[in-house]
Amino acid sequence: MTRRRSNHVGAKPAGPRLWSSIEELSGDPAFQAWVDAEYPAAAEFTPTARRQFLKLMGASFALAGLAGCEKSPFVAALPYVDQPESETIGVPRIYATAVTFDGYAQPVIATTWSGRPTKLDGNPDHPVTMGRSDVFMQAAVLGLYDPDRAQAPTRRGEPATWQDVVAAIALLRGSWSKDQGEGLHLLIGPQSSPTLLRQLDALRKQFPKAQIHLHAPAGGAARRDLMAAVYGQPLDLHYVLDDCDVVVSFDDDLLGPGANQVRNARGWAASRRRSSRQPGIRLYAAESVPAATGAMAGARLMADASRMAVLAEAFAAKLGISGAASGDLTPAEQGWIEDAAKASNAAKSRALVTSGSYGDVGTAIWVARINDALKSAVLKFSQPVTGPSDAASLGDLVADMRAGKVQTLVILDCNPAYTAPAGLGFTDALKQVRSTLHLGLQRDETGELCEWQLPLTHALESWSDARAVDGTASIIQPTIAPFYDVRSVHQIMAMLLGEIDPAADAAVRQTWRASFGGDFDARWQQALYDGFVEGALPEVSATPSGNAKSEKPAGKGLDIVFRPDPTIWDGQFSNVGWLQELPKPLTTLTWGNVVTVSPALAKRLTIANGDNLEVMIGDRSVVGPAWIMPGQAENTVSLSLGYGRKRAGRVGDGLGYDAYGVRPADQPWIAKGSLRKTGTNETLAVTQLHHRMEGFDLVREVTAAHPSLAKQETPPSLYPPWPSAKNAWGMVIDLDSCIGCNACVAACTAENNVPVVGKDQVIVGREMHWIRIARYYEGEADAPRSFFQPVPCMHCEQAPCEMGCPVHATEHNSEGVNQMVYNRCIGTRTCSSYCPYKVRRFNFLDYRAPPQSPVHAADNPDVTVRSRGVMEKCTYCTQRIESAHAAADKENRGLREGDVVTACQAACPTRAITFGDINDPDSEVSRLRRDGRHYALLEELGTRPRTTYLARWRDGGGGEG
Amino acid sequence: MTDQSDILPVNQSMGGVSDQLTGIPLHFPAERRWLIAMLFASLLLLMFMVSVVELFTRGVGIWGINIPVNWAFAIHNYVWWLGIGHAGTLISALLLLTQSEWRNSLNRFAETMTLFAVICAGIYPVLHLGRPWYLYWMFPYPATMNVWPQFRSPLEWDIWAVLTYLTVSFAFWYTGLIPDLAAARDRATKRGWQIFFGITSLGWRGSAAHWLRWSQAYRLTAGLAVPLVVSVHSEVSLLFAAGQIPGWHSTIFPPYFVMGAAFSGFAVVSIIAISLRSWFGLKNLVTDDHLDLLGMVLIATGLMTAYGYVFEIFDALYSGDAHELQTLADRMTGAYAWTYWGAIVFNFIPLQALWWRIVRRTGWMLMLISISVVIGMWLERYMILVTSLYRDFLVSSWSHFTPTFWDWSTYFGTIGLFLVPFLLAIRFIPMISIFETEELLHEEKEEEHG
Repeated sequence: MTRRRSNHVGAKPAGPRLWSSIEELSGDPAFQAWVDAEYPAAAEFTPTARRQFLKLMGASFALAGLAGCEKSPFVAALPYVDQPESETIGVPRIYATAVTFDGYAQPVIATTWSGRPTKLDGNPDHPVTMGRSDVFMQAAVLGLYDPDRAQAPTRRGEPATWQDVVAAIALLRGSWSKDQGEGLHLLIGPQSSPTLLRQLDALRKQFPKAQIHLHAPAGGAARRDLMAAVYGQPLDLHYVLDDCDVVVSFDDDLLGPGANQVRNARGWAASRRRSSRQPGIRLYAAESVPAATGAMAGARLMADASRMAVLAEAFAAKLGISGAASGDLTPAEQGWIEDAAKASNAAKSRALVTSGSYGDVGTAIWVARINDALKSAVLKFSQPVTGPSDAASLGDLVADMRAGKVQTLVILDCNPAYTAPAGLGFTDALKQVRSTLHLGLQRDETGELCEWQLPLTHALESWSDARAVDGTASIIQPTIAPFYDVRSVHQIMAMLLGEIDPAADAAVRQTWRASFGGDFDARWQQALYDGFVEGALPEVSATPSGNAKSEKPAGKGLDIVFRPDPTIWDGQFSNVGWLQELPKPLTTLTWGNVVTVSPALAKRLTIANGDNLEVMIGDRSVVGPAWIMPGQAENTVSLSLGYGRKRAGRVGDGLGYDAYGVRPADQPWIAKGSLRKTGTNETLAVTQLHHRMEGFDLVREVTAAHPSLAKQETPPSLYPPWPSAKNAWGMVIDLDSCIGCNACVAACTAENNVPVVGKDQVIVGREMHWIRIARYYEGEADAPRSFFQPVPCMHCEQAPCEMGCPVHATEHNSEGVNQMVYNRCIGTRTCSSYCPYKVRRFNFLDYRAPPQSPVHAADNPDVTVRSRGVMEKCTYCTQRIESAHAAADKENRGLREGDVVTACQAACPTRAITFGDINDPDSEVSRLRRDGRHYALLEELGTRPRTTYLARWRDGGGGEG
Repeated sequence: MTDQSDILPVNQSMGGVSDQLTGIPLHFPAERRWLIAMLFASLLLLMFMVSVVELFTRGVGIWGINIPVNWAFAIHNYVWWLGIGHAGTLISALLLLTQSEWRNSLNRFAETMTLFAVICAGIYPVLHLGRPWYLYWMFPYPATMNVWPQFRSPLEWDIWAVLTYLTVSFAFWYTGLIPDLAAARDRATKRGWQIFFGITSLGWRGSAAHWLRWSQAYRLTAGLAVPLVVSVHSEVSLLFAAGQIPGWHSTIFPPYFVMGAAFSGFAVVSIIAISLRSWFGLKNLVTDDHLDLLGMVLIATGLMTAYGYVFEIFDALYSGDAHELQTLADRMTGAYAWTYWGAIVFNFIPLQALWWRIVRRTGWMLMLISISVVIGMWLERYMILVTSLYRDFLVSSWSHFTPTFWDWSTYFGTIGLFLVPFLLAIRFIPMISIFETEELLHEEKEEEHG
């Protein structure tokens, strides 16, 4: 690595400077020193003359930057599909690799243009993703180009070099080896990387007394702790929803955000579509806080978080499990349990009962016993995929720090200064540690407090490895050379292990050399090509141990539950604009978090949306704006983690409230607390203000008794139909499959260079997403049914917008796509006024990122970046249609089914979106258009939309439907 | 009119009227008040300019518009100004054609008002554009790519309608002005004025041939202008009616808009007439009879507009269309119900006082009622735009609209844009048609004597 900073541009690698402006360069002292050395005369210039000189010399400096690129640490990075002889400008290269989330691998294929990744999609060959994505995977690429990333090592905030780091580590190693690593502690987030786990083991071999602590503020680790209590061993659960007939969930958001979302959603939707006459799988969900799972459930029971154990026990009693007592139940609870029990008994081993990651042990115990009694064949166990398995807790670390036992603390891939429960006093304890090293993408709250901030490479510029939720390992290969002065976690670990100048891929190769054996080169290449190494973790069997004890949350009052944020998770994605602006499912909130309360509680305390509430747990409190959540259990209050950050960066700082501030260390998910109004309020940036359907049949439903909708006549049109080319594009969206996860919105944002407009613009109603997930409620606010409806452009055959535009800026093409001609648009906005679906988006201001921002590197070069004053909207990914045409033309053939896949379609974890040629009667989209559930939105207007819907199945609790 | 009673007091001399009216620009009688008004108007104009610079620098996002309410003040005020403009043409041209001579005291400033109101209206579609520098794409010019405007678009029709209207209004106004410009030329004593009026009067000598040609041209232009009033504002209504949005998509819109336009226009004519006559002491020329007639026209057009309101409700109820009914309910009870009820109250309640002759003949009362109508019609346009757009078909796109500072500053700025040239016109141009007033006076005198 040192060779990258030998000759040019002072102590910094030159390549990254390509992303910066010359102005920025000129302010850099190292750069100035270099200029002074190379061009002594320039040192004498006046500031303006010097600036002029730098501008004129820009081109040659840029060349110097390119020279740096050639010496990048790229080694044998294999393209996924084809390996061109040489790079062809304008042709993307695709690599199979992975990004990580909650410690797990998210296997992706990365589209790169001239060496810069712009788009991630699920790896289609991978058993978990099968090509599907979630919002975190889609947005990972923007995290790579985050301008607020730590760009070089710093020591106490002062710039340092990696040589300084090496020297400091050598010094530390000297002191560790004196007493076998006594006083060396590592704090890490959950990791599934075989290489990192191997390195951690090696470190503990070198320094046997070193200690490793695990800190996971949210995610799979919570469930593992529950399972350890229930089964006597830490386990990962695997739901085989593909083979499942009935799911009974006790506050388990199995379809909601999290590492398992893609897998569960895929299985759920596959089962749901098993039959064309009725839904193939039924879901009974007891829920305290409304989430995707409850929204999709045929029978949803509202119950407070602390009541789940009682319900689970009553359910167990209903199934006749010994030791279970049926407590006092309300009629609603009674009915729900009876229905769920009847369905479970009928489904036998094809039934699955689940409890939440963020629930209590009592529920988990009863759920485990029920599954055991049902002999559920659709619940599998494995050893934990993420580790390290024998790590101590954050609490132990703080205790050790307080006791002065910690000399060196290495914090890796977590941000305890922000995410530790405030009651632990982590930041105070940290002051007692002599040497602190923070390894992270950003100099965040923790990096700020540590002596050393060692910047890490992003997954997309790293050599690494990780395991997906099923344990299948992926080798992570870089898709771009690191453009900051950063090192991979394995390189830094190797430094801690005493290596000097470790190569980027050495540690990973070493790990896999051991498991690939003799045929290493071929298998390595194959693994890079495939993006994963065949083989999930083996199944293990587990039975619930009899002596598990449940504990009830202490104290009286409201149930205060904590949930990771659906878009920025535990706060690690705070600085990713795409995720901040992504409307959170159900609330459609952006750029902040809320305290959700039930309508009944809101009525009792006269709370309105946006009123600031003070939530008190013990002697701690936090103030956040209220959101009245239809369907929330009466005495449950939900706080979402991840906001209130102070050192997230320019995007994420100062938004929302910090729920970690009231989170009790011993009750991280459910606590008892109280609530009061502060008398102030604030404006929330929500994208949908009205939630009832008002009697319109926007989302339609069918039942097993009436599986087909009445067909409507298409009203006549004044204009003749358009002549159609060979292909006619159409899209069908299955409302029964849409779980409202927003992956399509995120994918569309990434694919189509959709700008981020910021909180203020969202508040005035100017978000730019080309597809929105409309969310509707039906029924009483206390117990509503929830619906999701993705609304992209309808591509009407008789489009009101086309008639309205005075300058032909929106036009119909021969394949039926309603096109926007950006450079012809003069911004009369007539098209949007006339659009009955209001799917058009307008650049009211210049929403482009500043010209020097590195986020432009994430732009898709196939899609125009729109300037201000221009209308835009869903194009059916016209760039993909055109490139499919080009590819087919080269082979002298017509387009085939599957040649064109839109970004939203590719991302959808449930395959709710089908796109294709409606002129081809055998295409999937044509087949769905003939389905009994098929309907067009507002078809009575005669717009003849090409985007149409499949009605949702209504499958109520009592065996109805 | 002439066979009823005389609208002008006959005991005044023709020369006296000429001197009185040409004297206004030549020896301006109300210098101080004019200066104060001009200062006020110039400040508004300055605000307009600042707003426009801000607008062109940052984009239409400085306004409160959003998706779904992506048309608001710009279109709203465009319609409002254009509506005001129509009264001038109607008064002048229609009454000229129907030989209602009482118009002669009002037509000049009404036409002037039209001209500047149409300019105010016409500037809004430019400001409204996201990329105003490409306005010329709306014109059919021989573009290298052979792209033509989209002739199905009501906005394209609109461009032609407004330009035609502006041209004809100008021609009509100017034709009518020529004899008076000549009169002013003949009375001008300063060299500069002589040249100015000499050029603008186009060599008018008042020969019989001139009068014949002039009269033909004037009536011909009037004959063009009257149907234009109807067609232009009908066309403006199609901006809305051509879209499928509930609350817009209605065949009642063209007549409804034309009536509303005339209604608001006559209100502004009344305001100006009353102001000018008290300002310049023209009670002998703009008489109480004039006010009486204006009041009658006002209540007549007002009632026709009210008919439009009733039928809009009837249409929605009769159609039984759920979305139309939703919009009707939103208008009456929604977040912008104040615009609906405001429009009804301001437009039609004070108007009823005009049934009394004494109210019609009392300047300040007619003035107050007219101001109320102008506000009411402004609210009506607000209502038609915002209450239709903020909640259209899909509940998920329902939103709100709140005007920003720049919305208001642009709007009030256009009042400056209207007032400054208007004040300049009354300063420098005979504001009441001299020859026509004299003609009327002459006819009245003849009748008296003969």
